[in-house]
Amino acid sequence: MSEISTVLDILSNIVLIIGLIFVFLGMLGLLRLPDVYNRMHATTKIGTLGAFCVMLSILLKVGFTPMGVKALTVGLFLLLTAPIAAHMIGRAAHRHGVKLCKESIIDEYGKSYK
Amino acid sequence: MKRYLLYSIPLALLWCFVHGDVTILNFLFGLVLGPFVIRPFKSLYKFDKEVSFKDATARIPKEIKYFVILIIEIAKASIAVGKVVIQPKIDIKPGIIAVPIDSKTNLGITAIANTITLTPGTLTLDVSDDRSVLYVHCIDASDPDDIRESIRNDLEKYTLEAFE
Amino acid sequence: MNLLDLALLFMVFAMVPCVYRTIMGPTIPDRVIAVDAMTTVIVVMLGVYSFVQGSVFFMDVALVLSIISFVGTVTISKYLDEGVVL
Repeated sequence: MSEISTVLDILSNIVLIIGLIFVFLGMLGLLRLPDVYNRMHATTKIGTLGAFCVMLSILLKVGFTPMGVKALTVGLFLLLTAPIAAHMIGRAAHRHGVKLCKESIIDEYGKSYK
Repeated sequence: MKRYLLYSIPLALLWCFVHGDVTILNFLFGLVLGPFVIRPFKSLYKFDKEVSFKDATARIPKEIKYFVILIIEIAKASIAVGKVVIQPKIDIKPGIIAVPIDSKTNLGITAIANTITLTPGTLTLDVSDDRSVLYVHCIDASDPDDIRESIRNDLEKYTLEAFE
Repeated sequence: MNLLDLALLFMVFAMVPCVYRTIMGPTIPDRVIAVDAMTTVIVVMLGVYSFVQGSVFFMDVALVLSIISFVGTVTISKYLDEGVVL
């Protein structure tokens, strides 16, 4: 019995470290990438997966107690709503007149409205 | 009546997960609370369409398969974008391309758009007025036809199986 | 000083780019996504802190904060897009 709990403890620590590194990389991408659309790539994908990993590690640590179930709920909610928020900000930014960065090579959206 | 019961089951599961203890008694309590939530928001549900328990239960394994594939794709996407972020000098060729899709229903289009957002290097911006083209921002748009092919062949198949 | 305390410290460092982008961001959508990302970091911190304290209530705070963040982001982007909220 104690072997299983030790394995779960080590596994949850590994998942926690992976999640923390992913969240940090997402925020670093927010700092370094050139324009709004590329920054959204960083925060919505890496940040969301990192948050989900941290919540999964809490679930592995405490099992199916109320805290673990709520942690899983928070993780799934973040995973479901981050793409929708990114989609709405991207659409609003493009219609508000934010230009793509100067490295961009193609824009097939700009001529579809107006 | 059957309709209310069928639409209450996801709400009851949500009640269990938010409340914190997943037991049969709590699930039944959530099932009792469900119709009181559904009745004021009746216009959001499709009350004119025919529903049955059999269709709803037959779709569950496909939805589970879709979620497993989705999580694997998200992990790949995060590693791909993470590699871009930790390069010493950022060298990317972003761009917005148009991707034609086959799905016609609201749920199908929403599921495809969310799936595209969570896969490597792509992010959905908008859907055209006649619902046939998605506009996708790519972090590496040097080969638009390749991206269109991969979206049509890999993602759309699983999404259409699960949600239509 | 164990792993979870280090995790909280690391998340404080992860919040610095968000604050920088919120203050210096050249356009309004930059600031919106910076605030959204900051909320994600705070939700992670609340989850870890809930486990450190052994209390369930911080997890409720995390759930409500993520819901408020989503609704706020959608509202601001709709205002930017159409000029009205409802």
